[in-house]
Amino acid sequence: MREILEAIGKAIVEGEEEETRRLVEEALQGGVDPRKILEDAMMPAMEDIGERFSRGEAFIPELIVAAEAMQRGMEALKPRLAEGERGRGLVVLGTVQGDIHSIGKNLVRMCLEGAGFEVVDIGEDVKTERFVEAYREHRPDILGLSALLSSTMQRIPEVIEAVRAEDSGALIMVGGAPVTQEFADRSGADGYAPNAFEAARKAKELLG
Amino acid sequence: MTGKERMLTAFDRREPDRVPVWEMAFNEESIIKLGKFYTDDLPPMKFAQQMTMEEKVKLLNTLFTVARELELDGITSIGLLGTEPVDDEHVKDGWGRILRVSEEGEATAVGGPISDPSDLRGLKAYHPQPTDFLMLMASVGNLGDGVAQVLVQPGPFRESWSLLGSMEKLLYHYVKNPGFVKDLAQVATDYILEVVDMAADNGADIIALDGDLAFNQTTLMSPAQYEEYVFPYHQQITAHAHRRGLLIFKHSDGNMWPIMDGIVDAGFDGFHPVQPQCMDIGEVKRKYGDRLCILGNIDCTYLLPFGSEEEVEESVRETIRVAAPGGGYVISSSNSIHPGCKPENYIAMVRAARKYGVYPIDVEG
Ligand code: B12
Repeated sequence: MREILEAIGKAIVEGEEEETRRLVEEALQGGVDPRKILEDAMMPAMEDIGERFSRGEAFIPELIVAAEAMQRGMEALKPRLAEGERGRGLVVLGTVQGDIHSIGKNLVRMCLEGAGFEVVDIGEDVKTERFVEAYREHRPDILGLSALLSSTMQRIPEVIEAVRAEDSGALIMVGGAPVTQEFADRSGADGYAPNAFEAARKAKELLG
Repeated sequence: MTGKERMLTAFDRREPDRVPVWEMAFNEESIIKLGKFYTDDLPPMKFAQQMTMEEKVKLLNTLFTVARELELDGITSIGLLGTEPVDDEHVKDGWGRILRVSEEGEATAVGGPISDPSDLRGLKAYHPQPTDFLMLMASVGNLGDGVAQVLVQPGPFRESWSLLGSMEKLLYHYVKNPGFVKDLAQVATDYILEVVDMAADNGADIIALDGDLAFNQTTLMSPAQYEEYVFPYHQQITAHAHRRGLLIFKHSDGNMWPIMDGIVDAGFDGFHPVQPQCMDIGEVKRKYGDRLCILGNIDCTYLLPFGSEEEVEESVRETIRVAAPGGGYVISSSNSIHPGCKPENYIAMVRAARKYGVYPIDVEG
């Protein structure tokens, strides 16, 4: 069994989508516990690539293909996971109003998915009211806000306030090039991360 | 010296009479806000794509007035590719790319004519039209030969990802489909070479090759991927620009350190904008000042939007002290005068450049 789990991890790190899917199916047929496949093979692989990305040893293209392979593997795995095991939690993610930068947010989505979260991506240039609506509709475990401009970043405290009016206990994570830990604290956010891999780590930490 | 002579001298890495002042871009809102200091004849506050022809002409004239009043040494024109509206937020250009427009700045491609490598064969290439160069022509007509005429054109990386409608898709294919990525870059490059020809024919002096290759952390692709998928196309473009008697520099925000040698080897004459959050201009000057003209570095993330005029002056003084001695420096913001920048701060930046930028530089540390 260790062999197949290792092979799955390797296929993800190398971004081999078809191979990942095939190996996951093979493992399932061989009777390997689906949770084990997820937690002992797939997630550690994403963790590995994410960590290397953080250290500057891997670049965005490698992260993207690994995330795609992970997704492909999940397609095979998901139907076999019990309802409660499907994910670590739900995250609603969007870029704030006036801001059309999408790449950072999309990478955060990929890394969150890679860490086992379900993500609803509500896009870019998202009005504050739309964040509130999406929060109401999905009741996520975490709301993630991305901002790439020092001007649009000023929307963050506004969104946080509006969402907290809906649910005072809402967990909110923020990030984007101009955002700092200090700004996140001042805005009342629960978490900040400087990159996509750390974002996934932070989300796990927030949900304890 | 004329503005143009100043810019060309800086590109030659010699000292002009004073540090040239130039900007890569002003958004519509920024032009109008700056214009208010000098004229009442302003267009309504809208995106250029939504303006009538008459309003567009007024916007351009406002920009030229600002350039003249502030005695800018160079002016940047963009290609005015015709677009047709799709809905309130989107327009479509001649390649069939869907662009999302935004109040806070330039548009981005969100959909392209190519979604799969197999689409490339059927792609109908767009060829630059004379009307795409109307801004350049108007600028040459209005400001004449006294200022350097810069034309900004997205590079092969940006053109490629725009044709796919997303940068992530292109980066995915960097790993998965190297052949496709190269063919696509060549399609983009062939188009860019045509643009370079028409820029030369219409009075441009300098090409600004746009298209970011980096972000805060590092480059968007690995140095090896840059070497393989971008560098050869950069080489073709710089060689062609030089053949046509033009100078050409690379624009990229972010931390470009991992591929700076490549930028020099690809034949660029300069590098813009040395984003201060990611790169130290003193270090760039030390390592590349003998081979590249350096442009930019005045912070448009915090300083120009939120700083005081005194802080702007101090930053200009310090940047000139570090980057200007010996020549080879053109002052500008660290990206553009975007809608978040205070117009007063931009004017303060230009004034400070005149105050401290006289050669020989005499600014104490
Ligand atoms: C690519 C880019 C663009 C592209 C965007 C394409 C797209 N579809 O996204 C285009 C060309 C369209 C663009 C436009 C503009 N841009 Co721009 N852009 C960039 C650039 C070069 C890289 C951004 C990027 O994609 N990075 C790659 C990703 C992976 O990194 P990231 O976004 O930082 O995200 C990471 C982390 O921040 C974090 N993260 C991100 N979101 C979140 C969310 C959460 C919850 C968490 C925890 C973490 C997290 O994780 C991510 C992955 O590791 C930056 C430069 C820079 N240094 O960042 C400028 C930059 C952001 N842009 C800038 C500017 C000025 C503009 C314009 C205003 C230009 C103009 N004058 O028109 C317009 C504005 C458009 C608009 N309305 O939004 C400035 C912002 C200055 C400021 N005011 O603060 C920057 C900093 C460049 C500079 N030299 O100063 N831009």
